Amino acid sequence: MIAQQVLNGLVLGGVYALFALGFTLIFGIHRIMNMAHGAVFMAGAFIGLFTVRAGLPIWFALPVAMAGAGLISILVEVVAFKPLRKLALADAELASIISSIGAGLIILSIGQYVSKTETMRFPFGTVPVEAIQVLGLRVTMLQLLMLGVAMLMVALLAYYLYRTARGRQIRAVAGNYRAAQLLGVNPNAIFYQTFFLSGALAGAAGVMVGLAFNAVQFLMGEPFLLKAFVAIILGGLGSVPGALIGGLVLGLLQSLSAAYLPALLVDAVIFLFLFVILMVRPDGLFVQSVPESATKRV
Amino acid sequence: MGFIAPHLPLLDLIFIGTGYALSQAIVFRAGTFSVATSGFAALGAYCVAILVVKQGVHPAVAVGLGTLLGLFSGLLLSMPLARLRGVYQAIASLAFVEILVALILYFEVLTGGPLGFHNIPRLVNTWTLFFAMTATMLLLIVLGQGGIGRAFDAMRQDPTVAASLGVNPTRYHVLSFSLSGAIAGLFGGLDALRNFSLTAEQFGFSILIATLSAVVLGGRRYVFGPLIGTAILVLLPEIFRPLAQYRQAVYGLLLVVVMAYLPFGVYDTIVMKLHNRRLARAGMLPAKAGS
Amino acid sequence: MSSLVLKGVGKRFGGLQAVAPFDMEIARGKITGLIGPNGAGKTTVVNLITGVYKLSEGRILFGDVDLTEAPRHEVARAGLARTYQTIRLLPDATVVANVMIGMYRHQRTSLLAQLFGLPSSRAETARFRDEVFRLLDRFGMTRYADYPAGALSYGDQRRVEMMRALALKPEVLLLDEPVAGINDVEAAKLGKIFRSLATDGDGMAVLLIEHNMRFVTNLCDYVYVLDGGQLISQGSAEQVVSDPVVIKAYLGEHEDA
Repeated sequence: MIAQQVLNGLVLGGVYALFALGFTLIFGIHRIMNMAHGAVFMAGAFIGLFTVRAGLPIWFALPVAMAGAGLISILVEVVAFKPLRKLALADAELASIISSIGAGLIILSIGQYVSKTETMRFPFGTVPVEAIQVLGLRVTMLQLLMLGVAMLMVALLAYYLYRTARGRQIRAVAGNYRAAQLLGVNPNAIFYQTFFLSGALAGAAGVMVGLAFNAVQFLMGEPFLLKAFVAIILGGLGSVPGALIGGLVLGLLQSLSAAYLPALLVDAVIFLFLFVILMVRPDGLFVQSVPESATKRV
Repeated sequence: MGFIAPHLPLLDLIFIGTGYALSQAIVFRAGTFSVATSGFAALGAYCVAILVVKQGVHPAVAVGLGTLLGLFSGLLLSMPLARLRGVYQAIASLAFVEILVALILYFEVLTGGPLGFHNIPRLVNTWTLFFAMTATMLLLIVLGQGGIGRAFDAMRQDPTVAASLGVNPTRYHVLSFSLSGAIAGLFGGLDALRNFSLTAEQFGFSILIATLSAVVLGGRRYVFGPLIGTAILVLLPEIFRPLAQYRQAVYGLLLVVVMAYLPFGVYDTIVMKLHNRRLARAGMLPAKAGS
Repeated sequence: MSSLVLKGVGKRFGGLQAVAPFDMEIARGKITGLIGPNGAGKTTVVNLITGVYKLSEGRILFGDVDLTEAPRHEVARAGLARTYQTIRLLPDATVVANVMIGMYRHQRTSLLAQLFGLPSSRAETARFRDEVFRLLDRFGMTRYADYPAGALSYGDQRRVEMMRALALKPEVLLLDEPVAGINDVEAAKLGKIFRSLATDGDGMAVLLIEHNMRFVTNLCDYVYVLDGGQLISQGSAEQVVSDPVVIKAYLGEHEDA
């Protein structure tokens, strides 16, 4: 029943979009690949889980998870990226990737400790189990929640970035700190805001995924991050609408592949898709004002 | 000898790890940002395992073939990657590795799939690995001092100028990938004959990160950097044995701290400091210099 | 002993005609000047010659070799060397290392020999080193051999760039504002070197792009003038300098010389 798979794909895609948005925001503004993003995502899932276990409802746990993940993200910035800011971009690039991997591992280790390596689950009934019928398809409350959260977050982020003064400042900085400082913008403030937002988005995605697959596990970040590259690249590094479209496409691809192909080939298909995009249109669908493009100039 | 014996497995890890790190380092030297080493290693490893265990091929021949397979894979992969730059190359090479791992898992009949490939005889000892590592290091040192090294350095630092001086970028790009593939294929093959079994995961994202970290921790410019980096990554967790369950955290902390204070890598930083001190003493460094 | 000839060479960037089709000859044994106000397209012409940009129209001929479609490295292998307006050295590499890259064109040993450090490769490297030191000596820079190139003064860095270009032993030398920011005494010294490059031995074909009018008139045998992508005048240095069209182009833009 292809329509059901499409629905599943879109719901999953929404979550991928959130995750990709967080990542692409950092890359677009700071030109950094934050490899701790997966770990922050996982941390958000755990925070959400423990909040619910403490007896609080999901609509409270979600913002708590987002805030928590946002703060952890700021911590990652301070620990992994800030010390390298003084280096020229060419030298800093690789070092900051490694540094953020390190930060991610530390967070992973904490996750391993608190979960004692076990897969944990949200208590039954965290989200009402009812489903409704829409156009002949069965849509669960959870799916509605996921779609709703994804759309809300994207809308809020877009509003913040494109309609508020703070947001415009952030977009204006886009990698050029000297200019930003001359214009009176405090680069530190930009860092904290963008990393907080990025982390919050990852945290939201984490809670959603934890609910959707009914599993919160300290290793959940890595495979998610790897697949999310499809969304990030397809949409264009640094593009907000791109991350959204990319996420949806990825979700559909994964869902449809899982339905019609042997399980072990799904990953192969997804990464083959990624490779093909890089060959055919590496800048992505929505080319941003990124100074360097993906390809060498001939 | 009795002192060393229990530590032999560690030495094995250091020698093989250095081999992988050298494969990674050579593409960095040529200015490419590719992380395909673990993919080439997987090809070499499974090639050797299948040939030795299922076809009864002599191990030396099998390793030679594994190396060649790595070389040709590198050559082939270099072409699509030549068109990309920077992080895009990295992500494309990452995709390559992930596709390969997925395919290895899928073709169970050939590779044992998710259960792994087992009962591989241990035909390689620590001395073989030491010899292979040393030979590779010597090769790369020699290469670095000659025309190839000069061309790689020029391409890495200023590809426009390099081209305008006659350096054919495609030629050296393909060469660096072929070398990287060959080295990774070699050490992958040796790895297969060392550890009794292979799994697809051991060539996935974790080893990719470990290899990358080893190069960055140790230093990218000199051939000894990868050795130092690998040694640190293998030995430090051993030193912190009591904290064994926090291994990931120790590893992560190590990466963060070293990058914060020695972003150019341990060995490179030492060499640079000594070099600067020598120049300063000879009165050669005006106030402007120093990075 | 051929010259570099441009026939009807033009370049468009989308809708913008950066260089309108024109002819130029850079003759062996002579120093040819290319002048014009900022933004006239002079560096674009050099970029077209060296293969950085693709020609929109026209052909570039060097003897019987057609360089129109040649990629950068092949242009270099054909014997064309250039220097840049902004210094493009490898700042962390030593002066020797920087100049050595210029010797690339003369590499004859096979990749295999280089890979394994066979005697032929080592001998070649040693020969190259000797050549490099000869150049250093000629420019009076021997004591800077092991300095990191980035630590040198501006004038010295310019000379390193020059040496690198000369290491190529080019037949055509394209100099893009080689004495910008250099005092007259230094400039005169470099000018003597350029003159000897053109007239000594087989003689190079030298193209000189400069703003320093005194330098140009002293040195150039023939001058082309560009303005806004168009060739507005050509002739001997004296003719060009007194051409009213040229004077208008310069004075119309800048009040200072």
